Amino acid sequence: MSERQIELEVLRYRPEMDDKPFFQTYSVPCQEEWVVLDALNYVKDEMDRTLSYRWSCHMFVCGSCGMAINGEPKLACKAFLRDYQTKIRIEPLSNFPIERDLVIVQDDFIEKLESVKPYIIPKQEKPIDQGEYLQTPAQLKAYKQYSMCINCLLCYSACPQYALEEKFIGPAALALAHRYNMDSRDVGRSAREHVVASHDGIWACSFVGACSQVCPKDVDPAGAIQQVKFTSAVDYLTSFLPGGKR
Amino acid sequence: MSRKPYHREVSKTTWFLKQSRYQHYMLHEISSVFVAIYVGVLIVGLFRLAQGPEAWSGWLAAVTSPIGVIFHILVFIFSIIHTTSWFKAVPQAMRIQRGEEIVPGNLIIGAHYGVWAVVSVVVLLVAGVA
Repeated sequence: MSERQIELEVLRYRPEMDDKPFFQTYSVPCQEEWVVLDALNYVKDEMDRTLSYRWSCHMFVCGSCGMAINGEPKLACKAFLRDYQTKIRIEPLSNFPIERDLVIVQDDFIEKLESVKPYIIPKQEKPIDQGEYLQTPAQLKAYKQYSMCINCLLCYSACPQYALEEKFIGPAALALAHRYNMDSRDVGRSAREHVVASHDGIWACSFVGACSQVCPKDVDPAGAIQQVKFTSAVDYLTSFLPGGKR
Repeated sequence: MSRKPYHREVSKTTWFLKQSRYQHYMLHEISSVFVAIYVGVLIVGLFRLAQGPEAWSGWLAAVTSPIGVIFHILVFIFSIIHTTSWFKAVPQAMRIQRGEEIVPGNLIIGAHYGVWAVVSVVVLLVAGVA
């Protein structure tokens, strides 16, 4: 195992001391197979205990360690040091307020996620003793890709529309709404529509597509949003037909 | 201790300079302006045709002038950018499921290129060029 010295330029912000963020450089002896999160953990354990950042699983499942690495939204646990030069700039995810160091304020996303009712709304609740809701493999396939979202917020950080229009519901929440709309066990599409198909929902997306490019789980939120635009437009047009709901 | 989150401002006018993927998006969006202008030029051509031979030859002279040719080359380049960037995005918006499989994106993109080629040949045949 070879060792390499890496310069980590980390954006620091300590609200009790600082008026604005500043870069602090740490020279870290890194192993070849390390990811950026390992380097940050080394700093935390061996060099500077005051550095704050979120992480948990170290295997791109929990979605906690999202940060901007050389300006690109990444999971720190999935960003291998071998893919970088000797100097790496690490900042908190853009488009979110900084709580402290690399920790962002997620409140806005959580509220928006709740607003799309990201859970199965069944036609009729049935008691547990009647067994599970059955689903064919094809029915599972229809939504599975969108269910892989880990709420890591890389997509929000990449989305220029969210940066410019803070009311925009945003990629992950809209993709998750689509995930439940596509689920054969769910009948909640109309309950979500007033948020999803609103001005601040799918129609605020201009299809830059950056969300899908940075998604570490290949969820393709941009694709989900365009598909919802299509069904929503069909809903609107059919509402003019006799018997249509307006 | 009370919280004091730090808000970073995003420029409303220069945001797209930040990343190359935003610049590609802007290029794609701007290409639509050239396509729209060309549609306008063609519609004007139709009107001139309806007005008689003299008006038509005037329009023809304008579009075949050096400036007209440069304009056409520009429109051609931006039309290619517009078309290819949209074709690339189609599988995201057009997700087709057959049983338990999703139709591969390359197949959908390829079909679009195929239809584009067929339509182009038909147009050239009708125009008497090919």
